[in-house]
Amino acid sequence: MARLMDLGMDRLRNLLLEMGQLSQQTVVTAIEAYHVGKNHQDVNRWSNKLKQLDDQVSELSIELIARFQPVASDLRYIKACMEISYGFYRYGRYAHDIMEVLDTFGDLTKCDHAVVESASGTTKQMIELSVEAFAKKDVELAKKITGMDDYVDDAYRDYISKLMKSKHVDLRCALSQTLILRYLERIADHAVYIGRSVIFIVKGEEPAFEERS
Amino acid sequence: MSSYAIRRFKDRLFFFLGIACIVLAVLPLGSILLEVIVKGLPTLSLKFLMSVPGPGGKNIGGIGPAIQGSLILIGLTCLIGIPLGVLSGIYLAEYGDAPYARVMRTLNDVLTEFPSIVVGLTVFLVVVLKVSGSLGLGFSPLSGAIALSFILIPIVARTAEEAIKLVPNALREASMALGVRKWRTTISIVLSVAKAGLVTGILLAVARVAGETAPLLLTVLGNTHFFEGFNEPIAALPLQIYQDALAPDPGIQARAWGAALVLILVVLSLNIVVRLATRGRMGSSVRK
Amino acid sequence: MNVEKEEATSMTEQGGEQARTEEFMTNMAESMDGAPKLRTVDLVAFFGKNEALHGINLAIRPNKVTAIIGPSGCGKSTFIRCLNRMHELTPGAKATGQVLLDGENIYAPKTDPVLIRRRIGMVFQKPNPFPTMDIYDNVAAGLKLTGMKKGKNLDDVVKNSLQQASLWDEVKDDLHKPGTSISGGQQQRLCIARTIAMRPEVILMDEPCSALDPIATSKVEELMVQLKGTYTVVVVTHNMQQAARVADYTAFFYLGKLIETGPTASLFENPKEELTERYLTGRFG
Repeated sequence: MARLMDLGMDRLRNLLLEMGQLSQQTVVTAIEAYHVGKNHQDVNRWSNKLKQLDDQVSELSIELIARFQPVASDLRYIKACMEISYGFYRYGRYAHDIMEVLDTFGDLTKCDHAVVESASGTTKQMIELSVEAFAKKDVELAKKITGMDDYVDDAYRDYISKLMKSKHVDLRCALSQTLILRYLERIADHAVYIGRSVIFIVKGEEPAFEERS
Repeated sequence: MSSYAIRRFKDRLFFFLGIACIVLAVLPLGSILLEVIVKGLPTLSLKFLMSVPGPGGKNIGGIGPAIQGSLILIGLTCLIGIPLGVLSGIYLAEYGDAPYARVMRTLNDVLTEFPSIVVGLTVFLVVVLKVSGSLGLGFSPLSGAIALSFILIPIVARTAEEAIKLVPNALREASMALGVRKWRTTISIVLSVAKAGLVTGILLAVARVAGETAPLLLTVLGNTHFFEGFNEPIAALPLQIYQDALAPDPGIQARAWGAALVLILVVLSLNIVVRLATRGRMGSSVRK
Repeated sequence: MNVEKEEATSMTEQGGEQARTEEFMTNMAESMDGAPKLRTVDLVAFFGKNEALHGINLAIRPNKVTAIIGPSGCGKSTFIRCLNRMHELTPGAKATGQVLLDGENIYAPKTDPVLIRRRIGMVFQKPNPFPTMDIYDNVAAGLKLTGMKKGKNLDDVVKNSLQQASLWDEVKDDLHKPGTSISGGQQQRLCIARTIAMRPEVILMDEPCSALDPIATSKVEELMVQLKGTYTVVVVTHNMQQAARVADYTAFFYLGKLIETGPTASLFENPKEELTERYLTGRFG
C-alpha cells in the first residue's frame, strides 16, 4: 500500500538515478576529451545541470522531512540521498575542472598519458560501481569501491614523488597531469563516500573507518 | 397537492395529535386538582389546620392531628427507609454483578409493585399483633413507619442504583488511582456526584408514601387526638380522608376535601423545599 | 553545507569518530541510570480467559520518560494499568507475574494495592477532575480522602502541586471555581497536580494528550520532560512523534508482546526489529 510520502520518495530516487547517469557520462566524456585533446562543450553544461539537480534534491529532502517527519529507514534514506547527491554533483564539478585544465594548458598531446589513463580507468569503474550500488542498494558493490580507492591514491602520490625526483620536467605536462590526477583522486574519494552512504541506507550504520596505512 | 405540501400537512397533523394526547393525559390531573381546590379551599382556615376533628354538623373541627400524624409518619419512614434504601442502591450499583446481587435486584423490583394492602397485612401480623412470634408493637407510629418503609425502600434502592450507575466510571478510576479506598470513593466522590439523582428518587418515593392509605389502615388505625406516644395509634391524612369521605354528613365530607387539599400541598411543598435546597450546588457543569 | 564538506579531509573519518562518541555516551547514560525503578518479570494479563499481555519483561529507568507505543489493541493501556494494579479493578481481569517497584513485587500476596497506588499515580486520557469540587479541593482530594487534615500544610501542598504542574499562575486567583470550569488542557494539568499532590514516585500517563488541542498538548509535553527531574514518568501514546519528542526510552508493543525497546533516538533512527521498522515507517496500521 502506497504511503503519502512514497510519491516524494520516488521522485527523490529518480532525481538521484538521473544524477548518477548524468555524472557518470560527464566524467567519462571529460576524460575522453582530455585524451583526445579536444574540449567538449557539453561537459560544462552537464556540470551546471548537476548543480541544479543537487539543489533540487536538497529542497525535496527538506520538504519531505518537514511534511512527513520520517523515521527509521526512511530518514536514513533521505539523509543518504542528500550526501550521495552532493557526491554526484562533485563528479560533474571535477569533470568541469578537467576540461578547464585543457583550456588552461592548451596542447597536451606530447605528454605521456600512461599514468592518467590507468588511474582514470579505475576511477571510471568506481563511478560506475557507485551509481549501480545506489540503484540496486547493493552493499557488496559498495564495499568493492573502497577496495579500489588505494590504487588511485597511490597513482597520484607516486606521480608526485617521481616528479620531485626527476631532473628534467616539462612544466606543462607535469602541472596538468598533477592536476588531473588530483581531480581523479577526489572523484575516487567521493565514490567511496557514496558507497558508504549506500551501506548506511541498508545497514543503518556506517562501516568502521579504516586508517590509511 | 405537491409532495412537500403533503409532508407538511402530515407534520402538522402529528404535532397536533401529540398536543392532543398531552392535553388528554393532563386533563384528569388538572380536573382532580381543580376539584380538590374548589371543594377544599372553602374549608381551609388556620383553625381548621390546628384543631381536632369534631363530631359533625356545625362542628367539624379540623385536621390538626392528621397533619401532625402524617408528618411524623413521613419523618420516621425517611429515618428508617432512606439510609437503608441508599445503601441498598449503593450495593446494587457497585457490586451488582454477583449472582446474589442479581437475585436481590429482582426481588427488589417485585417489592416495588407489591400491593400495599398486602404490605399492611404483613406488618400487621408481624409487628402489630401482640402475640408470640411478632414484635407486638401494636397500632403505633413505628408500625406505620415500618410498613411505609417497605414501600419506600425498594423505590429508593432502585432509583439510587440508577443514579449511582450514571456517575461516570472515569471519576471512580480517578479516585482509585489516587490511592483512595473503595468505600471512601463511593461515599465521597460517587454519592456527591449522584446527589441530584438520589434526591429525585427519594422525593418520588416520599410523595408516593405520603399518600398511602392501605398499609396505615392496619398498622396505625387512626386517632382523633394529637400524638400520644410511640406506642399509641396515630392519625394520618390519608386515613382521615378515607374515613371522612364515607361519612353521610356533608360537613364531614367537606373536611375530607380540605384534608385532600392539604395532603397535596404537603407533598408539593416538600418537593419545592428540597429542590431549592439542593439547587446551585456544583452539579456536573462541564465546560467546553 | 557543500562548501564546508570540501574542506574536510575525509567526511567519513569524522563520521566514524562521531559514531563512537555517541555509543560511548549511550553506554555511560545507561549505567548511570542505576537500578530500574520499575521492572516487570513475565507479566501476563487476562481479561477473563482472554490473554491480553503475553509475558512482558521491561525495565523502567528512574527519573526518565519512558514511552510505550504500538498500534491500537496492542496492550499498551493494559500494560500500564498493571503497573499500579488498576488492571484488576476491571471485573474479571487479573494479572500474573511480577512487577518490581524498587525491587519489591507489588503483586506479592500480602501487598495492599491501595498503598501501591499512592506511590504510583495515574493520569488518564480524558481529563477527569471531580465535578462537585473546586480547583483547590480537587488538588487536595487525594490527601483529604486518605486522611490528611485541613490546614496550612494543605495550602502549601496544593500551591506546590499546582506550580509543579505549571498551572499555578493561571488559576491562583480562581482556586474556588469549580474544577470543570477551566479549559480541557488546564483540566488535564489539574489532574496532574492532583496526582502530584500525593507525592508519588512514579507517574503513569495513559494517552494524556489525546483529548487536547495542539497547544495544550505541547504544554503537557513540556511538563512531562520537566517532571522527570522529580518523578519517573511512563507515557502510553498512540502518537509516535510525541514519543520521539518527549521520551528518553521507548518500548514498542504489538499484539500483547514487547517487540523492542531502547533509547528513543536509536529506536527511531535504526530499529532492530522488522516489525518496529514497519510500524515506524507506517507500513501497517
